Amino acid sequence: MTTMNKQATFLLLSFLALFSITAPASGALEKGKGNASQPTEALHDLTIFFSNDVRGETEPCG
Amino acid sequence: MLALDSGALLFKDEKLPQDQREQLTVTAQGITAAYSKMSFAAVGLARQDLAAGLPFLLAVQKKSNFPWLSANLLNRTERKTWFKPHTLITAGGMRIAIIGLTGQGPDSLLTEKDNAVIAPWEEVLPKEIAQLRSRAEMIILLSSFPAAINRKIAETHPEIHLILQGGSNQGNIPPERVNNTLITQVEGQGKSVGILEVHWSAQSKRWEDPGSENLLADKKNEMDRLGWQINRYRRQGEPEQAFKNQPEVLEVYNDMLARQRLLEEEIVRLTATQNAREASRKRLSSYRNQFEAMRKDLPDNPAVRAIVDATTSEVNRIGKAAVKARISGITGQPQEGPTGNYAGSTACTSCHAPQFAKWRGTQHATAYDTLEAKGQQFNVQCLPCHITGPAAQTGQEMLALAHDLRQVGCESCHGPGRAHALQPAAAKAGQPTMATCQRCHSGEHDDRFNFSEALSRLRCGAD
Repeated sequence: MTTMNKQATFLLLSFLALFSITAPASGALEKGKGNASQPTEALHDLTIFFSNDVRGETEPCG
Repeated sequence: MLALDSGALLFKDEKLPQDQREQLTVTAQGITAAYSKMSFAAVGLARQDLAAGLPFLLAVQKKSNFPWLSANLLNRTERKTWFKPHTLITAGGMRIAIIGLTGQGPDSLLTEKDNAVIAPWEEVLPKEIAQLRSRAEMIILLSSFPAAINRKIAETHPEIHLILQGGSNQGNIPPERVNNTLITQVEGQGKSVGILEVHWSAQSKRWEDPGSENLLADKKNEMDRLGWQINRYRRQGEPEQAFKNQPEVLEVYNDMLARQRLLEEEIVRLTATQNAREASRKRLSSYRNQFEAMRKDLPDNPAVRAIVDATTSEVNRIGKAAVKARISGITGQPQEGPTGNYAGSTACTSCHAPQFAKWRGTQHATAYDTLEAKGQQFNVQCLPCHITGPAAQTGQEMLALAHDLRQVGCESCHGPGRAHALQPAAAKAGQPTMATCQRCHSGEHDDRFNFSEALSRLRCGAD
């Protein structure tokens, strides 16, 4: 069932890894916002990760 | 950074099969432990999360380091919430309120003893928003109501800036704006994670409207075309005179003049709106979204890996114990051969040796082996698609299945073969249809499955 394994991805293990990959970019945005040319109001930079309907699945069966 | 989940985290269905309950609840506890490692700010409570009962979820909540949110799962008599209705956090340098709503459905989900009810959103949401709007610079709703209701919520409550929609869906749903609310949903089963990069103006609390420039341009283009048509009529002379004997032509001309006046008014209004937006552009909020596929090549987090391994091990220990209990309780002996209408793949070899040999070269022939290799052969969630599935319906049957019915054997595609094995001419074997394959190769497991391609690749040949 190789095809199925390729399709059935696994949230839990890689989710945290994705956070760590993406988070520095988000942090860089926050650091940079003080230098932005926006005299009236600095915008708040926020990265939202969201998941849904994980339905008790942990990882591909086999 | 903010991590949120819209719900249906723990279970797929609203009811758990009794003989799978222990394994499913162990998995649910493992997922809770893993999410607790990931610093989730909140998880919405969907109906499926109640599948093991309200007491189970209340116990899970105590072990979670994130809040489970539901503003409308209420104590039936006191109308107080069983879980936190909302949470207030600071992220991106601002206060953010996150509200949870549980989708409504049949009351049978809750028992009388639970003394609980899932209330309509109209009963609870106005009160939540009233108390949060002055305390937060952004309001996010985690809702497991259907899409149509979420649209209605957005139309009714523009104070909600983002709805992260829950529910089963094939594919991701990019953000759609309804009033001042973005609604989006990421596909289920952990296939993807949604990522929304927000640049938020806490002053205006409004999303910029990317569509109005296009609308103004469309109106100006229509005005140009209309002006050209009107001039064509005027080239014939003063229309009232030129077409006085052609009232139908004059009527068309007058309709165009009326449309021209309407367009002029719309263009003035849209231009004013655009100018105002230009003036305040820096005070509007914007976003960029993407859906990141959870590829297997992303590295594992060791702490989460350990939780998953321990959960898998426990799930399989439970299954193994169930097999032992069934064998000693019913027959005292392991099941030696196929039972019922099934013959097992070995019975096919004497007459269908070439076909059997071809099958042995397919991944179907090692489907069960892949479970064993991962130590998942006692997991009843995995078994249905790794055995000659239709031969066993319940978890207990799957676990005690005869060896010759393990793997996705001949009878998975051709149906029960005992009668055919006994009287080949009298009882013909069936042929697989798309529905046969889709028992396992459904969108849930294999969203790129192509029946024609699979059939031509796996076809056994005549007889």
